[in-house]
Amino acid sequence: MNTGKKKLNMWLVLTLGILALFLIFVVFPIGLILYKSILMEDGSISFSYFTKFFSKKFYWSTLINSFKVTIASTFVSAVLGLIMAYLLRSIKIKGSKFLNILIVISYLSPPFIGAYAWVQLLGRNGFITRIINTLFHTQFSGIYGFAGIVLVFSLQSFPLVYMYVSGALKNLDNSLNEAAESLGCSVVQRVWRVIVPLITPTLLASSLLVFMRVFSDFGTPMLIGEGYKTFPVLLYSQFMGEVSTDDHYAAALCVIVIVITLVLFFLQKFIGNRLTYSMSALKPMESQKASGLRNVLAHGFVYMVTLVAVLPQITVISTSFMETRGASYTGKFTLENYKNILMPKNVTTITNTYLFGLAAILLVVILGVLISYLTVRKKSFLTSILDTLTMFPYIIPGSVLGISFLYAFNKKPLLLSGTAIIIIISLCIRRMPYTIRSSTAIIGQISPSIEEAAISLGATERKSFIKVTVPMMMAGVLSGAIMSWITLISELSSSIILYTSKTQTLTVAIYAEVIRSNFGNAAAYSTILTVTSILSLLLFFKVSGNNDISV
Amino acid sequence: MSVAINIENVVKRFGKDTVINGLSLDIKPGEFFTLLGPSGCGKTTLLRMIIGFNSIEGGQIKIDGKVINDIPTNKRNMGMVFQNYAIFPHMSVKDNIAFGLKNRKVSKEEINKKVDEILKIVKIDHLKDRMPQKLSGGQQQRIALARAIVIHPEVLLMDEPLSNLDAKLRTEMRNAIKQIQQQVGITTVYVTHDQEEALAVSDRIAVMNGGVIQQIDTPKHIYQRPANIFVSTFIGLSNVINGVLESNDNGKAQVRIGDYRFTMSNIKKECTQGPVKVSIRPEEFIINKETKEGIPVVVKSSVFLGVATHYFLETKDGQDIEVIQDSDLEELIPNGTLIHLKVQTQKINVFSEDGSRSYIDRGGRA
Ligand SMILES: Nc1ncnc2c1ncn2[C@@H]1O[C@H](COP(=O)(O)OP(=O)(O)O)[C@@H](O)[C@H]1O
Ligand SMILES: [Mg+2]
Repeated sequence: MNTGKKKLNMWLVLTLGILALFLIFVVFPIGLILYKSILMEDGSISFSYFTKFFSKKFYWSTLINSFKVTIASTFVSAVLGLIMAYLLRSIKIKGSKFLNILIVISYLSPPFIGAYAWVQLLGRNGFITRIINTLFHTQFSGIYGFAGIVLVFSLQSFPLVYMYVSGALKNLDNSLNEAAESLGCSVVQRVWRVIVPLITPTLLASSLLVFMRVFSDFGTPMLIGEGYKTFPVLLYSQFMGEVSTDDHYAAALCVIVIVITLVLFFLQKFIGNRLTYSMSALKPMESQKASGLRNVLAHGFVYMVTLVAVLPQITVISTSFMETRGASYTGKFTLENYKNILMPKNVTTITNTYLFGLAAILLVVILGVLISYLTVRKKSFLTSILDTLTMFPYIIPGSVLGISFLYAFNKKPLLLSGTAIIIIISLCIRRMPYTIRSSTAIIGQISPSIEEAAISLGATERKSFIKVTVPMMMAGVLSGAIMSWITLISELSSSIILYTSKTQTLTVAIYAEVIRSNFGNAAAYSTILTVTSILSLLLFFKVSGNNDISV
Repeated sequence: MSVAINIENVVKRFGKDTVINGLSLDIKPGEFFTLLGPSGCGKTTLLRMIIGFNSIEGGQIKIDGKVINDIPTNKRNMGMVFQNYAIFPHMSVKDNIAFGLKNRKVSKEEINKKVDEILKIVKIDHLKDRMPQKLSGGQQQRIALARAIVIHPEVLLMDEPLSNLDAKLRTEMRNAIKQIQQQVGITTVYVTHDQEEALAVSDRIAVMNGGVIQQIDTPKHIYQRPANIFVSTFIGLSNVINGVLESNDNGKAQVRIGDYRFTMSNIKKECTQGPVKVSIRPEEFIINKETKEGIPVVVKSSVFLGVATHYFLETKDGQDIEVIQDSDLEELIPNGTLIHLKVQTQKINVFSEDGSRSYIDRGGRA
C-alpha cells in the first residue's frame, strides 16, 4: 500500500517488536535446550545423553509406555468422540444441549483431576471398588497403571474429538447422507463409507491434539500410574527429582519430546492436507427422532458416556463437602474443607490463578490480534517468519516450555524465575497459537475493502484498524478469549515447573494437596476451579450466542 | 469547482507481471467517466492507482494539475464505492455516513446537517438510525454512495457498484447514480464490465482490453463508430464478415462481400484496396426477399420479441449471422428459406484485415 513511509513504519516496528519477543521467549529457551542437550559437563559437544537414554531399558521403556497409553487413549477418544458426535447430530436426544455442556465441562478440567477422582472411585480404597468387593466378595485392588491411565485420558479427551467432529458434521451436507441412503447403504455403512472419509481431516486434527495432550501430560500417570512410568514422568523426575537432577539429561529428554511432536505435527498436516474437501452445507444434517430400540440404545449410550465423563467432577464436588480423616472420608457433611483453604490469611492461590489468567489473556488477545492482522493483511517476508514462529509453541509440551524457561531466565539480565511474569508469559505463549489461529479466521471473514473504505474516507491506517477492524473482530475474539481463559486456569504442566510458594495457582495447589493426600482441600480447590470454568462457559455461550465451541 | 484527472503513461506491476504498461487518459472536470472492459483487463487496478491503494510504478496521475503519486490515500480526498459496499457493520447508517466527516474534524452540528442532507439526496432518510446489516442490497448501496459523497470528494470512484444487485434493482440504481452524480457534479470514474450499464450512465467511456485503452469516446460514438474490431464486438453485437475493398476514389469506395457489391462514401482516403473486415450490427441489415442482391443466407430460426424480431441465419460458408428487424404485420420468414441481406452502408463499419484499425472517416475523430 502506498500510504506514506511513516505509516508503514508503524507496522514494521510492531512486526519487529513482536518478532523480538518471540525470539527471546520461544527461540532462545528452546535453542538453549537444544544446546544443553548436546553440551557435556566439560564443555565438549556430544550426543551421549541421547545414547544414555536409548541404551538403558529403564529409560527407553518409558517412551514405549508413553506411546502405548497415548495410542490407546487417542484411539478410544477418537472412537468415542466420533460416535457421540454422530449420535447427537443425527438422532434427537432429549436434553442434548445440557449433555453438550456437560461433555465440554468434563474436558475443561485438567486431566490429573480426573486421575485423582478416579482413584477416589476405582482406586484401592475407592467408593466403587468397595461396593464391588462387598457385593461380589472379590479382591479387586483398583484400577492403576496402564488401564487407569487410559481410562482417565480417554474420558477426558474424547470431548475434544467430539467438539471438532460435531462442528465438521454440521458443515456436512445432508444430501450426501441421503444420497448414500438412496443408494442402499445401511446406517453403519453410511457412517463408515461416507461420513468418516469426509470428516477424516477433522478427526485427524483433533486426534493429534489429543495425542499431544496425552503424550505430554505427566499429572495423570503420576497419580494413577503407580509403577507404570511414562516419559513425562521420567522427564519431570529427572528435572525435579529428589534423588538427583541432571539438567543436561533433562534437556536431552525435552529434545526427544519436541522431535516426536514435530514429526506428528507434520504427519498430520501432510495427511490432513491430502484429505481435505471443502464443504459447506446447503442443507445441514438435522437430528431426527429415532424410534424403538434404536432410540433407547442411543439415549442409553449417550447418557452413560456423558455420566461417566462428568463422574470425576461430581466426585470432586461432592467430596469437597465431606469430612476427611487422614486420606479417608468419614461420610459426614462439612464445610471444613472450604474453611481450610479460604480462612488462612492469604488466599493468593486463588487470586494468583485469576490474576495470572487475566493478565495472560489480555496479553495473548492483544498480541494474537496484532499478529494475525500482520500475517493476513501486511504480508511480507518478516510477517511470514512471524507466522511460523508463533505457531511453534503449538508443538512444545508445557513441561518442556517450563523447563526451558527455567534454564533461560534464571540469570541476569533476564532473571525472571520465581516471578509471576514468567508464569504469565509461559501461559501466554502456550495459548498463542490457538488465539492466532482463531483471530486469523476472524480477520479472513472481514473484507479488506472495509478498511480501504475507512482509509478512503480519510482515516489513517491505525485509526481504521482501531475503529473498524478491531470492533468487527471483537465478538469473535472475546468468545475465543473466554475459552482461552478456561484452558489457562486449568494449566498445570508448565506452572508446576515454574511456580514458587508465592506464585502457586489452583491447579498446582490441587496437585500438591493430592500428593500430600489432603483430599478434602484438593476437592475444595478443584470445586472452585470447576465452578469458575462452568460460569465462564456460560458466559461464553452468552457472548458467542451459539453452542459452537472451538478449543 | 470540479477537477480534471490526467493519467500520464502510468505503469503498474505486480511482482514481475506488468498489468498496465504506459496508459494515458484525461478525464474532464465533472465528467462521468467509465472504464469498460472484460474481466481481468485492469480496470480495478487502474482505479486503485487513482485512489492510492495500488502504488504507481511509472508515469504520474494528476488531479487538478497536481501530481498525487505520493499522497497517501487518506489525504487524497476521493470517495470510493466498493463492489461489496464495504459498509461498516458495527455502525448505524448515520455513523457510517458520518465516518468520513468525523475524520475531517467537522463540527457536530455540521455533521448532522450534512448527513441529513445527503440522506435525502440518496432517499434513505427513513433508515438513518438503523443498523446496516438487515438492509437490502439497494439500500446498502445508497449508504455507500452517500458515505462517499458526503465528504465532498474531488473525485468519486466506483468499482462495479451494481454487480451484486438483481437486474431490476440494477437499472433503478444506475439511474439513481447518474442523477445524483449530475446533482452533485463530482468528477466520477466508474468501472464496469457491463456495456449496457456503461452506455446508460457515462458521459464518456474508455474501453480497455489487456491493460490497453482501445477507444475513448461518448457512448453513442463508441457504439456507432467503434475504433477496432474488439470494441465493435465487445460493445453490443456485431456480425464480422470478410470483405474486400475493391476501389477507393473520390470519396466513393467499392466494397464487396462475396458477390454482393455496395458503395460507401465514408471510407478514409488513405485506405487502399485489399481485404477488409466488415462489421455489421444486427439492426443494420436490410432483408431482401425480392431480388438476389445481397449476401445469400438461410434462415435457421427466429424469435419474436414484440418490438423486434430476431433472425438467426447461416451463410454459405457456415458463418452464423444475427439480424434484428422491427416487427411488422407480415408473417415470420419460415426456417429454411433462402434470403438475401443488404446493408445500411452509412451505418456499417469497415476495419483493416487484422481488425486493429477502422477505415471509417469520422471527420477528424481518431
Ligand atoms: N494484487 C494483485 N497481485 C497480483 N496480480 C494482480 C493483483 N491485482 C490484480 N492483479 C492482476 O491484474 C490483472 C487485472 O486485474 P483487475 O484490475 O482486477 O481486473 P478487472 O478489474 O478489470 O477485472 C489481472 O490479471 C489480475 O490477475
Ligand atoms: Mg475488477
